[in-house]
Amino acid sequence: MQHRKPMALALALAWVAAGTSHAQTTSAELDQIRQEIQAVKQGYEKRIQDLENRLKQAEQAAQQAQTTAKQAEQQAQSAASQAKESAKQSEKVAAEAPAPQQPASPSSFNPALSLILQGGYYNSNQNPNTRSITGFLGPGELGLPERGFSLGESEITISANVDHLFYGQATFSIEDGVIETEEAFFQTTALGHGFTGKGGRFFSGIGYENSIHAHAWDFQDDSLVQQAFLGPNFGIDGLQATWIAPLSKVYVELGAEGGKPVEFPFADSDQNHNGFQVATLFAHLGGDIGVSHSYRFGVWAMNADNNVTDQPLAALDFTGVTNTLTGGNDKLWGLDFVYKWAPNGDPSYRNFKFVAEWMQRKLDGTLTYAPGDPAQQTGSFEATQSGWYVQGIYQFHPYWRAGLRYGELNEGSYTLGSGLAGAPGLAPPDFTPKRVSAMVDWSPSEFSRFRLQYNQDKSQQGITDNQWFLQYILSLGTHGAHKF
Amino acid sequence: MKALLSLLGLTALLAWTGPAQAVVNVFACHPEWGALASEIGGDRVSVYTATTALQDPHKIQARPSLIARARVADLVICTGAELEVGWMPVVIGQAGNDKIVAGKPGNLEAANYVQLKEVPQRLDRSMGDVHPRGNPHIQWDPHNIQLVADELAKRLVYIDPAGKAYYDSRLASFTQRWAEATKRWEQEATPLRGIPVIEHHKELTYLFDWLGMPVVGSLEPKPGVEPTSSHLTELVQQQSSRPAKLIVITTQKNPDAAEWLSGHVKIPEIALPQTVGGTPGAKDLFSMYDDAINRLLAAEKPKS
Repeated sequence: MQHRKPMALALALAWVAAGTSHAQTTSAELDQIRQEIQAVKQGYEKRIQDLENRLKQAEQAAQQAQTTAKQAEQQAQSAASQAKESAKQSEKVAAEAPAPQQPASPSSFNPALSLILQGGYYNSNQNPNTRSITGFLGPGELGLPERGFSLGESEITISANVDHLFYGQATFSIEDGVIETEEAFFQTTALGHGFTGKGGRFFSGIGYENSIHAHAWDFQDDSLVQQAFLGPNFGIDGLQATWIAPLSKVYVELGAEGGKPVEFPFADSDQNHNGFQVATLFAHLGGDIGVSHSYRFGVWAMNADNNVTDQPLAALDFTGVTNTLTGGNDKLWGLDFVYKWAPNGDPSYRNFKFVAEWMQRKLDGTLTYAPGDPAQQTGSFEATQSGWYVQGIYQFHPYWRAGLRYGELNEGSYTLGSGLAGAPGLAPPDFTPKRVSAMVDWSPSEFSRFRLQYNQDKSQQGITDNQWFLQYILSLGTHGAHKF
Repeated sequence: MKALLSLLGLTALLAWTGPAQAVVNVFACHPEWGALASEIGGDRVSVYTATTALQDPHKIQARPSLIARARVADLVICTGAELEVGWMPVVIGQAGNDKIVAGKPGNLEAANYVQLKEVPQRLDRSMGDVHPRGNPHIQWDPHNIQLVADELAKRLVYIDPAGKAYYDSRLASFTQRWAEATKRWEQEATPLRGIPVIEHHKELTYLFDWLGMPVVGSLEPKPGVEPTSSHLTELVQQQSSRPAKLIVITTQKNPDAAEWLSGHVKIPEIALPQTVGGTPGAKDLFSMYDDAINRLLAAEKPKS
């Protein structure tokens, strides 16, 4: 909750800064130039619209295209020659601005459309439906497929510029009749000054792995700590603002988000109230070292209501009875680091990627031990838990990569209120969930990938789960651009 | 800090009296466009080049450093035609710089101003990583360079109207020198006319078309697909029906396949700069062409 005010302030500041920095003046001359540019801009929008319309017509008749381009060219030249006339000047200089001679190919999609096909084979001695992470709240999505052959999520992404101000994108995942809206957001393109705003449903910008879609992960599954605290991709229905510092030689990004969480671990039917149920802040620092090395550091914090009623704390039920938590609140914070190496900065033949993340969660609320039972007790409850992972991926051949990952969780400690003093066994288990993963994948083109992965999963007390995955990820349609 | 401030003051003073200081920040996706921006923009532009000649332009990653540079750019000049589709959308999308978004004067896609070759009749990824709008490796036809130079000068004037006379005169000078050089290269390269070559990717198509050198094969079985042993074997067999006299790759590519084929069919294999900076001799646009033509001529000369 402490984050809410700064969050609102940051958003407000973003808008104010974007709006007012135009107003700075240094001299009368500069003022005049600005006014002229403003006039040029206004005329320019309209002119471009006209030119675009004409170019569209030109697409239909190939011959017309040439004439239209020539006309545009002539206008451009006449504009250049008369650039100093004041009244008509703005309109014509605008015509000098971009007038592509070749229209975009009719084969290019608008909007861009892509489809990801995923699926594979899973082998394990353990039933995936009974697996959970010992000592951690919630279903602790281990992200395991059914054993044997199964179809994974098919992902459809549609994106395009909405107009001259906004870009829009939606990603739907389809799995056996269930369609989920993974992301559906609009993003500003014209705020300038380093600001970008986003609204709708989107993956939160916290951490590294969180905002990466499953098909672009380096392993079949996400890391143990990601699964325990955030689920596959922690999404928000709300707003995001980011700002890139104008430093040119170093990348500094500041971001803030606010809204309603989409899924585990925070969302539930009781989130129906005003204001923000979750707020985040994040910062990134990155750059290159020479031509072959690049890196990015991140730090983030999140505050979320966990205002659930009667949520059975399955993970805390090792006491042998059911517990429920009410009036909960979650605070998370974390650090992330990505480093990439490619000889001469060319990843085509060989490259290496290293990722490390650490995060900590503080969950508090009012715990009712064994509700409805004569032994029922109620008191304040606080659990502080953490986890981390490191992974390395080496591409040793244009088509082949191999990777290793290790992650573990720290059960942490519970702080109990006086009302719970007599609750037996209400302490974190003496157990460290951990998982080691190894994978090798083959990508004969940028559009297909086949992966073999082995996990030794010790996330549930008393169980060593040897998991084998065979996976395919195929991408059809528009060539997507990937984040760093 | 004081020294820095006085330096700034001095620079500001010089700006009033002496030659212009850099006023336009140019983000060039590739070295050829960076070099061209320096030719036309001179001292009035500060050029950042996002990639080097030793990198595959298709496979650049949207590194944080690129976003930081795009954030402060006044003009982005890229090839376009989907050559940068895997990284520039992310760079521009995250930079928060409205000057360089598509459709603005600060976003220049060179491919929009030239005639692209090899426009596919059919779009199917089984044909490899084909570019729907045609072959985007346009830097190897000097006429393309001139067309892009003309447009670049217009954009610079639009962004920095005070420098109009300066850009116009630099463009005029470049145009004259470039036309002379082009004529010279065409004369020098006369012996190359008609010599059949095998290339690696399709990145030198424009050069071979311009010089009249027929391309009889490429080491990649499909665009963007690395050479395979079965495809190389086919090339060996093809040598009897459609013989090549030269294998030409770029210094960005792994030379293994070219060397293997060269050893098997006993024709020379050479590497040209992919763009400016690809060889020690390719220092700017002029020397890049000089270097490539000299290398081709040297390889073509029968060894005695």
